[in-house]
Amino acid sequence: MTELVINGKPVQARADQTVLEVALASGFYVPTFCWHPQLSTAGNCRMCLVEVEGRGLDIACNMPVSAGMHVLTDSEDVKAHRKAMLQFITLNHPVDCGICDKAGECRLQDYHYTYNGERSKSGDPKLRSHKLVNLSDRILLDNERCILCLRCTRFTHEISKSMALGVERRGDASAICAAADRSLALDPYSDNLIDLCPVGALQSREFLYKARVWYLQPTASICPGCARGCTVQIWHRKADWQLKALDARQNSCIVRVTPLENPAVNGPWICNKGRDLARIFERRRAEQAMLKGTPVALDAAVDAARALIQGARHPAALISNWASNEELAAFKRHLGGRFTARVKRDCEPQPGEPLQDDLLIRADKNPNTAGAQALFGDGPPTLPAATDLVLIWGEGCDFAALPHGAPVIYLNSYLQPENGHADVFLPLSVQTERRGHYTNFAGTVSEFQPCFRKSDSVADAEALFEALALPAAVSA
Amino acid sequence: MPGRQLLMTFPLTVGSHTLAEYRARGGYTTLEHALQQRTPQEITQAVTAAGLQGRGGAMFPTGRKWAVVVPGDGQPHYLVANADEGEPGTFKDRWILEHAPHLLLEGMLLSAYALEARHCFIYIRGEFDLPYRRVAAAVEEAYAAGWLGKPIGDSGFACDIVVYRGAGAYVAGEASGLLSSLEGKKSYPRNRPPRLTVRGLYQRPTVVNNVESLSNVAGIVAHGAAAFRAVGTDKSPGTRLISVSGHIERPGVYEVELGYPWRRFIDEDCGGVLGDRPLKAVIPGGISSQVLTAREVETLHLSHEELWSAGSTLGTGGMIVIAEGTCMVHLLQIMLRFYHHESCGQCTPCREGTGWMHRIINRIVAGEGRPEDIERLYYIAKYNDGTTICGLGDAAGYAVSAMLDKFRDEFEFSIAHKRSRYEGHIE
Repeated sequence: MTELVINGKPVQARADQTVLEVALASGFYVPTFCWHPQLSTAGNCRMCLVEVEGRGLDIACNMPVSAGMHVLTDSEDVKAHRKAMLQFITLNHPVDCGICDKAGECRLQDYHYTYNGERSKSGDPKLRSHKLVNLSDRILLDNERCILCLRCTRFTHEISKSMALGVERRGDASAICAAADRSLALDPYSDNLIDLCPVGALQSREFLYKARVWYLQPTASICPGCARGCTVQIWHRKADWQLKALDARQNSCIVRVTPLENPAVNGPWICNKGRDLARIFERRRAEQAMLKGTPVALDAAVDAARALIQGARHPAALISNWASNEELAAFKRHLGGRFTARVKRDCEPQPGEPLQDDLLIRADKNPNTAGAQALFGDGPPTLPAATDLVLIWGEGCDFAALPHGAPVIYLNSYLQPENGHADVFLPLSVQTERRGHYTNFAGTVSEFQPCFRKSDSVADAEALFEALALPAAVSA
Repeated sequence: MPGRQLLMTFPLTVGSHTLAEYRARGGYTTLEHALQQRTPQEITQAVTAAGLQGRGGAMFPTGRKWAVVVPGDGQPHYLVANADEGEPGTFKDRWILEHAPHLLLEGMLLSAYALEARHCFIYIRGEFDLPYRRVAAAVEEAYAAGWLGKPIGDSGFACDIVVYRGAGAYVAGEASGLLSSLEGKKSYPRNRPPRLTVRGLYQRPTVVNNVESLSNVAGIVAHGAAAFRAVGTDKSPGTRLISVSGHIERPGVYEVELGYPWRRFIDEDCGGVLGDRPLKAVIPGGISSQVLTAREVETLHLSHEELWSAGSTLGTGGMIVIAEGTCMVHLLQIMLRFYHHESCGQCTPCREGTGWMHRIINRIVAGEGRPEDIERLYYIAKYNDGTTICGLGDAAGYAVSAMLDKFRDEFEFSIAHKRSRYEGHIE
């Protein structure tokens, strides 16, 4: 360990740490644009200039610690230089916060208010550059807003390795550009660039002009897109800022998804599939219980299902690997003794979807296979020939392959043709409407929180299994 | 002749750059002897003892740079000759590349022997045509004669030299930018630490030396450190190649013994100011060195220490002589256009600052100057000093603040009267 002094406070550091890392770890904030803990050090924004007594100013992000050094992160000289760096950075930045999606969570905006706060010292017109450049069908580039921190080019070179971005020209004409022979559209991690960009230069086309971020709140959740189980934040409108004039559905929809940093699972990244959770959760929902395709009240359908279960001699169940650990445990607890249970795979990889890579994406496109198999074994999803009742939980089941003549109880969240073929159909809530845990492929358990209230016409699986088991408990 | 000569020791003829004539002048005998009789450490010691200072502009002691490279540390070492001579006003390395390419090669081989470098590179400015052809031909001659590519004699020392042409970026002349370019990347300079002698080309210890520094090595090894120190002054031993341009009767490359009187050099050796006009100012070593007025030049000698104490530097040895009647505002505009054009755009202060200063000076020249412009230029220069990755931003700032310090009245005149006091003359 090395001991150094930051702003008069002695702190301990490992010899391989930089002054910036030590300062941040010991509670001294140092502003940065280009520095990112997961990327190589570029040292180009010059915002993290700190003073070392006797040695003058230098950037903290590239400064190795040395014993006994006295670092000042807030001296008058440092403050003056930070102000000047912000003058330089905003010199040709359009300052169009009013129409920028990044406003409210923009480092440049925050730092300007914290460290500068003055008008530009330049009265000359700003340089113009390319705006609204389509980098892919997901990402727009605004070169005027770009402050050339090169986080994006480093990300595509070091993390996603798509090498899709570079810098063309030089000096103040420098501009981020797409590499001629590579496409950002082929980068399954490209949307991380939007979070990575400290200003509003890289924008999501999906989220463009959809909402001001201060009307949104994040809820911790888990991406169910594959067995990695990346932790995410699902952004939806704050309760205080509900829209009254527009369609009520606007108030309970996923506006965007960002990663929730989690060193144990996904670090600070998620893949593009995780950004598109709305495409999973906001498919047309099944909200009506049915008996052989005839709409009935939820209670009536539950009664019918209960009667079927009581009458069956060899009931079997196909368990969803999209169910939370709590739901799986509830099934085991209430119905596990009655049913022969097999875990099925709800989702298979879609055509064109990246199968597996070294960074995050896993070939198993279901979130809780590990959790389901821990309770119900990893046998194949085939049922005994003597089965006289099948309970199917979740999507992805071929009804034609079921034991012939056995009645079917079907539990599903989305509108699908099979729903009407089941003897009893029970609509379920989705992940964004409840709390729970998933176990990822490596055995790490993460938690998701509810974002929206579930409709009264759909059932919560945990309560449902208890209800289905009740009379059996009474008669026993 | 401005003092004693160490490099320009032979008459220039049609074939004086060839291997045959270089051999006839005693070329490569130093290398032969050194490989047989001297250890690599002895060569490093000789260069250190000679006090050779880097001739590329920073005057960093060459021996101290070499000493960082640890012999036998199990990794490859590289030696790179920086022939990307791009500082405006400077064309002195060009003389060596055109007329004494084998002197450079012999110096590089001796240095490579000292540094245990198996592979060397000559990074040559892309715009250099004749110099490139001469160097490339010299390297071919050296390969054919057995000085390159295979072990020389029974010493077991072998070395390859690759000549690499730059594509025209000023920052590629900065050592780390040069290495980035040599690696095939954009010539972005790198942050220090690590020093290039710790992690340079391909992340290996690399010594980047100026062409003129390397060309002095053979002489130092041949005649000893004391003989080198006998020339020049105590604190700046040896000679400097100085390329003189501007308002001067006989522009060209001169070898000047350090410590030579400056005024005498201009008046006698270079034939005086063009058209016998009075001297107004001199930019001593490339436009990145601070301009000095005629009065300051009067008593100075051409040595590193005297120029430093005068607040400037001998820099790259690109001396620009400026006669009375020259418009310094217009001159600064030309200088700032260069910095703006050549800023690589990597780090904030230089990327934005050089363009900002250029736009301000453009306005002043166009008669649209504002009273606050001078303070603004000082402000930009101040916050480029020491805040950038490489020296380009600092240099632009130095050039501007020296110009403003010494010729402020001309800038004020241009702003107040919306025209130049000298009608914009620079010829």
